[in-house]
Amino acid sequence: MSPADIEALATGALVAAGILGALGASLAFLGVGHRPQMVAAALGSVACVVLGLAVMVGPVVAVRLGRVLSYSLIDLRFDPLSGVFLVALGAVGAASSVYGLGYREAGRSRFDTFALIVFVTSLVLVFGAASAFSFLFAWELMALSSAALVIGPKPGRAVVRAGFIYVAMTHLATAAIAIAFAVWAAAAGSLDFGAWGDGVAALGDPGRDLVFLLVLVGFGTKAGMVPLHVWLPRAHPVAPSHVSALMSGVMIKAGIYGIIRFGIEYLGAGPAWWGVVVLVLGAISAVLGVLYALAEHDLKRLLAFHSVENIGIILIGLGVALIGLAEGAAPLVVLGLAAALFHTLNHAVFKSLLFLGAGAVQSAAGTRDLNRLGGLARMMPLTALTFGVGAAAISGLPPLNGFASEWLTFQGLLSAGATGTLDPIERFAAYVGVGALALTAALAVACFVKATGMTFLAMPRGEGAARATEVGLPMRAAMVGLGIGCLALGLAAAPVGALLAGVARGIAGRGSDLAPASLQPPPVIGTYDPVLLAIALGGAAIVVVVVARLRARPARRAPTWTCGIAPEPAFEYTATSFSKPLRLFFEPVLRPDRELRVELHSGTPFPRRVSYHSDVDHLVETRVYGPLHRASIALSQVARRLQQGTLQLYLAYTVGALVVLLVLARR
Amino acid sequence: MTPERLAEDLLLAFVQGAVALGSAPLLQGIARKLKARLQFRHGPSIWQPYRDLVKWWGKVPVESETASPLTAAAPWIVLATMVVAVLIVPIVAQRAPLAETGDLLVVIGLLALARFVQALAALDAGSAFGGMGASREVAIASLVEPGILLSLAVVVAGAGTTNLDTIAALGAASGASLFAPPLLLGAAAFAIVAIAETGHEPVDNPDTHLELTMIHEGMLLEASGRRLAMLTYAAQLKLVVVVGLFSVVFLPLGAAGDLSVPALVVGVVAALAKLTVAACGLAALDAGMAKLRILALPGLLGLSSLLALTSLAARLWLPA
Repeated sequence: MSPADIEALATGALVAAGILGALGASLAFLGVGHRPQMVAAALGSVACVVLGLAVMVGPVVAVRLGRVLSYSLIDLRFDPLSGVFLVALGAVGAASSVYGLGYREAGRSRFDTFALIVFVTSLVLVFGAASAFSFLFAWELMALSSAALVIGPKPGRAVVRAGFIYVAMTHLATAAIAIAFAVWAAAAGSLDFGAWGDGVAALGDPGRDLVFLLVLVGFGTKAGMVPLHVWLPRAHPVAPSHVSALMSGVMIKAGIYGIIRFGIEYLGAGPAWWGVVVLVLGAISAVLGVLYALAEHDLKRLLAFHSVENIGIILIGLGVALIGLAEGAAPLVVLGLAAALFHTLNHAVFKSLLFLGAGAVQSAAGTRDLNRLGGLARMMPLTALTFGVGAAAISGLPPLNGFASEWLTFQGLLSAGATGTLDPIERFAAYVGVGALALTAALAVACFVKATGMTFLAMPRGEGAARATEVGLPMRAAMVGLGIGCLALGLAAAPVGALLAGVARGIAGRGSDLAPASLQPPPVIGTYDPVLLAIALGGAAIVVVVVARLRARPARRAPTWTCGIAPEPAFEYTATSFSKPLRLFFEPVLRPDRELRVELHSGTPFPRRVSYHSDVDHLVETRVYGPLHRASIALSQVARRLQQGTLQLYLAYTVGALVVLLVLARR
Repeated sequence: MTPERLAEDLLLAFVQGAVALGSAPLLQGIARKLKARLQFRHGPSIWQPYRDLVKWWGKVPVESETASPLTAAAPWIVLATMVVAVLIVPIVAQRAPLAETGDLLVVIGLLALARFVQALAALDAGSAFGGMGASREVAIASLVEPGILLSLAVVVAGAGTTNLDTIAALGAASGASLFAPPLLLGAAAFAIVAIAETGHEPVDNPDTHLELTMIHEGMLLEASGRRLAMLTYAAQLKLVVVVGLFSVVFLPLGAAGDLSVPALVVGVVAALAKLTVAACGLAALDAGMAKLRILALPGLLGLSSLLALTSLAARLWLPA
């Protein structure tokens, strides 16, 4: 296809996505037909994928509509970086919409579908926004529509609380971003992002550091970076599962998009400590995310904590890129960015698959408490298989997609460590990153053995799980599609990696003084051929199976030996017992708290009731947010004295403020 | 790939496959015999592991009534993964038959894949022992993996690549500089976690079926017949993979530089010698050490990561 054809295709896809989105949203608003709404949403999402792929390889597509005063409300410019995120959005959006055809959660209504379509549309606008005004409009639309989805039309107390924390944190993010934008726009003299790259010089060094930190805080909050992640494990589990899939799979990536777009592409080469900070925050997020996930036995909260972990892995890649940018080490920039983008794409696919699987489990078994699940593999074989594929992918196992991007991240870290032109501190930080990433990967294996095993294997631990049946066709189709995506992205790691490296070269070339020619050589320092590996594994498996089938006699089935008593679910390991060694190993961080209560039959040594409760302490919440919370309450008590309820007093405040401003402005 | 290269790879695959796949049970037999002798017992013949495998192979497997299809699938997935891992690590030559497939990170990934499947299968029967074994296995592995990767990073830092064949060739060419302090520290770090990864004292007892102490054996408790044979054989192969990885990065002496007959003979002898020494060393540990309390393991295994980081810091800050 010629560039003109690709451009025409992209424009067509954009128009189609717009029309389908509007159609779906209006149907949902009017409450007409659940199926047509979801079909429109699915087709619109497919159009997003087409648009994303087209702008990744073809020319930039720009649109400008809706002028308010002298600002454009919708001012879009889709380039290859937008394309990567649009592909992730479209893929997850399509799967979630198909899934939504067969999935309804009690107490949810047509309002949800409307908010869902607005939410997806707002994400398209975020990934394409070309000026500060349009970006902030899209960003707020995304924040509010997702908050509406979290809270839902008839929320309980816990949900309202989760929603409140989400709204508060997301506005903290918006505030940081708005300040960064204001400073930057003033320096660049334009709200148009096109002028911001050149405007960096006008910021000066302290201004640049300030903008970087604000960008990191603002977008890091959205991404769920530790210590700004507290909203994420609260908000994601309470949304309906296909919305959780979009939130965890795509929305938090808007934070990653912002860090790449503003912190790397537009700010360009900065001091190397930016990279070290991002690398260290990424390592902390990855390790803490997976540790808290291990301590969790609510399936969706567990998955939400894994989002914190995966954002950490992505940030490690971005840290490598930032260090490379600062030191003029072009291969590191390309490697780090390509790893981060690849993991972004992969995480979108496997995390949404896992959330959809969790939704299927919840709708079939009526609970998502791992300690009440079990044995679902025999009742829900396809859900079990696809969840298993997602679990293997997120655990970074070859030949699936999670391994490919973690391999690339390791390559980035190890080549940063081996790059002699870097400062020893930066190289050492890279090695600490290697250790953190290895720890994270192994803990993720532990956590997903737990999540998969406790949900799908052995005997059911609760009534609901014992009665579960396989979910309907649309839900299964969505999960199978994403499962195939995990395998396909894993096997196509070489071409996808090359494509993303191209995107990375574009970003690095624009944001720095590096000549594009210096970005050419393939920057990996190792070998990984997923197709060959899959052939080798498949070949070995075929040989083993053929040999094992020779004169094989079928297995005899018998009850599990439990020392002479009939096996019972109560004998099984639970999620809590499974993670106990790790809770104890990481006691200094997790501070597990356990309470064992035994009530005896009076006058005998025989127990009547035994109850066990265990919990972990979330250090960030108790040590950072606790004091902040108390301080802000105290501060508002003081501020309350200003509030007297009399109009005259408020007018006096206004006059006073005006006088102060005038005095300041006249100086 | 040229036809000559393909023929060479096939030859190498045959030789290395024969050495690794053939000697794996023998190493366990030697280790058990030595352990028994050190404890003043006679112990079984060094060929006993082969007899056990043959015996199990002929028996009908018994599976739990509540088992899912995973119980039947796990043994061949684990074994196939381990066979591929054995062929990616250069053992007899400075090149591996499946070198184009992946580097050392891929080997670590394959070990994780086998662990994931085996731990899941251990949960399938619903016995508390399987859960206990799986829970401990994945917990210990999470302390092992940073140690392995950081100690390998010591070598990667010098070689500038994660490809095992390049590392093997560089190592063979560098001779005495292999005994430079940073590399020795790295080797020590790797050795500590290798003990845990292969399931030996003081982390795990390979011979026990005492429920309070077993880790790897706990995961195998519900496997029987042909499936037990496959899983046991896979565990024996894992020792070859881990020792092979150690010798290619820290002790590449004797590995064949080309595929001539004399070089290959030397390579095979060297590989067998290194594997035997490693098996004997592990047996001596088994005989001489008590098992550590599980809560003391983070201290021991964390030491490995610290040693490796010290070694890396030395490389970065100390003049060469």
